[in-house]
Amino acid sequence: MNKKIKRIFSHSEIYLFFIIIIFSIILTSINPSFLTLENLFDLIKSSAGMGILAVGFLIVLLSGGIDVSFTAIAIAGQYISANVLMATGVDNIYLAFLISCSVGILLGAINGLLISVFKLPTLIVTLGTLSAFHGALLAFVGTKAINTAELPDCFKVFGHNNIFVLTRADGTSYGLSVYALILLGVVIMSWLILKYTMLGRGIYAIGGNRDSAVRAGFNIVGIQFFIYCYVGFLAGIMGVMHISLLRYSNPMYIVGTELGVIAAVVLGGARITGGTGSIIGTLLGVVMISILEKNLVLMGLSSYWHQLFVGLIIIIGVSITSYQNKRRGIRSLTFR
Amino acid sequence: MLGKYSKTIVLFTIMVGIIIIMSIFIPDKFLTVINFQSISSQIPEFGLLALAMMIAMMTGGIDLSVVSITNLTGVIAAVILTKLVSPQMGEGLITLIIILAILVAIISSLVCGLLNGVLIAYVGVPPILATLGTMGLFLGIAIVITEGHGITGFPDKFLFIGNGTIWIIPVPLIIFIVCALIVALVLNKTSLGLSIQMLGSNPVASWFAGISNNSILVKTYMITGLLAGISSVIMISRVNSMRPGYGYAYLLTAILVIVLGGVNPSGGFGTVTGVVVGVIILQLLQSGFNILAFSPFFKKFIWGFMLLLVMVINFFVAKYQQSSGKLKIHT
Amino acid sequence: MAKELLEVKNISKAYTGVQALDSVSISIKRGEIHCLVGENGSGKSTLIKIIAGVVKADEGEIIINGRFYQNLHAIDSIREGIQVIYQDLSLFPNLSVAENISLNQMVERKSKLISWKDVTNTARTELKNIREKLDLGEKIEDISMASRQIVAICRALTQGAKLIIMDEPTSALTKTEIDSLFSVILDLKRKGISTLFISHKISEVLEISEKVTILRDGKKVGEYSIDELDNDKLIFLMTGKKIAYSRFKYKEKEHHEKMLLEVRGLSKRGNFENVNFKLRSGEILGIVGLLGSGRTELALSLFGLNKADSGEIYIDGKQVKINSTQDAVKLRISYLPEDRLSQGLFIEQSISNNIIITILRKILNRLRLISNIKRENSINKWSKELEIKTPSLEAAAQSLSGGNQQRVVLARWLATNPKVFILDCPTIGIDIASKSNIHSIIRDLANAGMGIILISDEIPEALQNCNRILVMSKGRIVKKINDASSITEDELFNIVGKKELNKVG
Repeated sequence: MNKKIKRIFSHSEIYLFFIIIIFSIILTSINPSFLTLENLFDLIKSSAGMGILAVGFLIVLLSGGIDVSFTAIAIAGQYISANVLMATGVDNIYLAFLISCSVGILLGAINGLLISVFKLPTLIVTLGTLSAFHGALLAFVGTKAINTAELPDCFKVFGHNNIFVLTRADGTSYGLSVYALILLGVVIMSWLILKYTMLGRGIYAIGGNRDSAVRAGFNIVGIQFFIYCYVGFLAGIMGVMHISLLRYSNPMYIVGTELGVIAAVVLGGARITGGTGSIIGTLLGVVMISILEKNLVLMGLSSYWHQLFVGLIIIIGVSITSYQNKRRGIRSLTFR
Repeated sequence: MLGKYSKTIVLFTIMVGIIIIMSIFIPDKFLTVINFQSISSQIPEFGLLALAMMIAMMTGGIDLSVVSITNLTGVIAAVILTKLVSPQMGEGLITLIIILAILVAIISSLVCGLLNGVLIAYVGVPPILATLGTMGLFLGIAIVITEGHGITGFPDKFLFIGNGTIWIIPVPLIIFIVCALIVALVLNKTSLGLSIQMLGSNPVASWFAGISNNSILVKTYMITGLLAGISSVIMISRVNSMRPGYGYAYLLTAILVIVLGGVNPSGGFGTVTGVVVGVIILQLLQSGFNILAFSPFFKKFIWGFMLLLVMVINFFVAKYQQSSGKLKIHT
Repeated sequence: MAKELLEVKNISKAYTGVQALDSVSISIKRGEIHCLVGENGSGKSTLIKIIAGVVKADEGEIIINGRFYQNLHAIDSIREGIQVIYQDLSLFPNLSVAENISLNQMVERKSKLISWKDVTNTARTELKNIREKLDLGEKIEDISMASRQIVAICRALTQGAKLIIMDEPTSALTKTEIDSLFSVILDLKRKGISTLFISHKISEVLEISEKVTILRDGKKVGEYSIDELDNDKLIFLMTGKKIAYSRFKYKEKEHHEKMLLEVRGLSKRGNFENVNFKLRSGEILGIVGLLGSGRTELALSLFGLNKADSGEIYIDGKQVKINSTQDAVKLRISYLPEDRLSQGLFIEQSISNNIIITILRKILNRLRLISNIKRENSINKWSKELEIKTPSLEAAAQSLSGGNQQRVVLARWLATNPKVFILDCPTIGIDIASKSNIHSIIRDLANAGMGIILISDEIPEALQNCNRILVMSKGRIVKKINDASSITEDELFNIVGKKELNKVG
């Protein structure tokens, strides 16, 4: 029993959990409306998209790679599906998802091809595809924003859907958005893949020791190809959720928000070198970053401080984990 | 020895090839004095960023915060130049303030580099993450200082740096050439430079060979910061304004020219000549694209595509070299 | 049922310009413990890769279990029960013991899903089979080298291994762990599983094998049963030379017993405790001990990489503090690292860069720039001095053989003109001819007045090349042998191998 407790505490996720609790307590004392059901529902709805992107990023990180092009894929999926729906006049949210996810998988496949077949360094490749995908979207599809009036109804309706509804004292209602369900679905699907399929264990194996994975007979090319397609698929889902949330589509959006997602995943305990990381940790990281982003104003900082803050959080967060790793690493320099 | 420079020779040929092609197809706009002046005015600030990134990559790392450093130092210099200067001041005082602004900009760029170096060397943060964080931090500070607005209206004398010429050669170009020569000298002929290359090749062996890894890394990122700072001074002087968020397109293109220029992203190998030729090639293409009126979005696509293309070509070249037996096999 | 499990006939393989294997034959019976012996470059690794189906032979036949294979693929080899455990063990550091044991066979079975119950049961069964105990949930990165070895063997067994090929399995094990490993191999034999063991450690070869195949320069020198061999004969067959063993003599009078290094009460928590010794000019002081004895940790504390918590260090009679490698180099202390490839060499850089990296200050001109003339002179001098054989000094270090590579690292430190030179297992993985060459270099250095500390895994090497020996165990010096000629190999073996030892101050 003691060993199990010891093992729980050896994971960095538990510390993040406590930090979030403490932070929430502080915020609630400043503004009591923080810890209400309504606020929580709102938090879930607005951060579900980030959560889905973060899960995708985590999976890439586990395999020892890095993908920064997911934002370009998300906006491409979003913008293309909205334009197609508008052009064809079809007003169906399922079609929107289908188009967006197909675009996502296609773009992800390009990443997968470059990385698994040509074995190119993942950071630089995805920096290249980030630029190429976004540039292509703006140059070939268009740059015109789609405002609420022009947007097909299915998006607006979808964004409003709730799983269940509660009423406030004055008779108005609020509810837990379907976004929670989608996020839950993505989380469960990803968790099942990672924990219960050979594909998933293969991802951990490649991230742990690529050569050993090759020798063990894992299909490296196939697994890596899948990973990047999967990220594209998730980005496609997020794209539709995003447009429905904002009821607006501007092809310049989403790109540029990579930092927050990466911060969330790394804060959640995933190692940049690969092989280590958990979905729970990633979700906790997303919660942390979301709470911070939304409540900067509450803490007395104007929105100008946002960028600075996120950067600072990343630095502090990774410094702590890196320093711990370093102490462990110094010992292993001398021993074998 | 030729092996080290064979890549540069290929690049040089490509560069000449591009000039020839452009001269044939769009001679009226390309082969003009104005065009070449425009090219040579953009090369310095971008080239300095590329050199800055190159030094970091030589150690096997990367510095994603270079553009943020230029933003921050540019903002600081801009604030000094506008807040401390009033129209009634005498020539001498203005010149002093200009010098002060430049000095403060340089010092703050060194401080930024120092922070990067300390995080990477002493705390042990992987360069990607450290510079990702500082990228946000430095830009964030710049935004807070300016509250998102731009700053314009610098003293005329200051504008000489970005726009003036010394005997027909633009001042920025002179600065760039001097910096490039110094960087090449440091990399190839000083103990620091050789240590940087060896550290990039194998950081563990570097410890055991008596090299002080930490101090070399800190110096590396400080040099990177310094070059970024010099670039920002030229930049704000050329356009007579500074707005946070400017120049982020340079990040990708800087990596592009470095990879094009033959620098190995995992560290240890690369030449200044290669990077400089890469910068020139890029600016030639950029001017060609401008003449052909490509939209900035199309250019964004092209740069990304080119980076991927260069890397795929490198892959095939390396494969060819291996199969033709240039690499030894151990039994 | 064929008598031979594996029959390899007249295998040849050439790479550009190099004949790696020349008509080599080897045969292994069921349940046989067979050793493959040879120097670096003799073709051992190539032969293994061909048997594993990873590399294709140019000529020759491979017959496994009576089945003839024209074109052996890795998957065929695995299906026939041939399992290779490479030197790095090919484990996943981020996954658990149970997973590491069970994963490979699940990949082989092309399973799509994982049953964690299966994973645990499989692992538990295999561990029981070889009578070992391990915590199934622990991650590989957290367990010892010996335990990892066990995991690798279990993994091989889960795939129905009939022949387990081990590539230098004992290089990272203590004596007790080696004994454990050998008993596991004997267990395997009892089950009818054959073992092919690659080693260059003669004492181990003589201890465990039943049959020995010797390769030299890609050719098979012969196959012998163990009763036909002894130490000298084996070395002669491996090298084609008789290596004369002379003992190193400390020329006391010549060096006036000048005290170069003295260590008093040096301690570091978890590494070593209360270490006291002296080193005089002209001496070669040996430090032997099992893995975990603290030898390397002690050496690194003298080199500035593992600062001690307490104690004093005296160089030339003056107390010094060694807080960094720069301090050590300034004091003219040099250290040759244990792992030549990842700690010693910059493998892709030129040989010349590898040599001058420690003497950068010496080759600067007045402008603090590297002087080409001084650089050339230094490189030529030291490569000649250490007889580094290479067509060009600007070629990458990876183009050199193991012995030459070690000479490059030696050259780099000799160029700093050290007073005290610590050599950590300098002849590991080096062919016997180069070994004795390096030994004579070390002796010459000592005779010229340098103080040398020789950390060694091989008792014979220590006895022949040192005049004094320290035996360490669990961080303490447990025995000081003041005259190496006064003790025999067997006696020293016993001292080093004992579990419980009395402390000697």
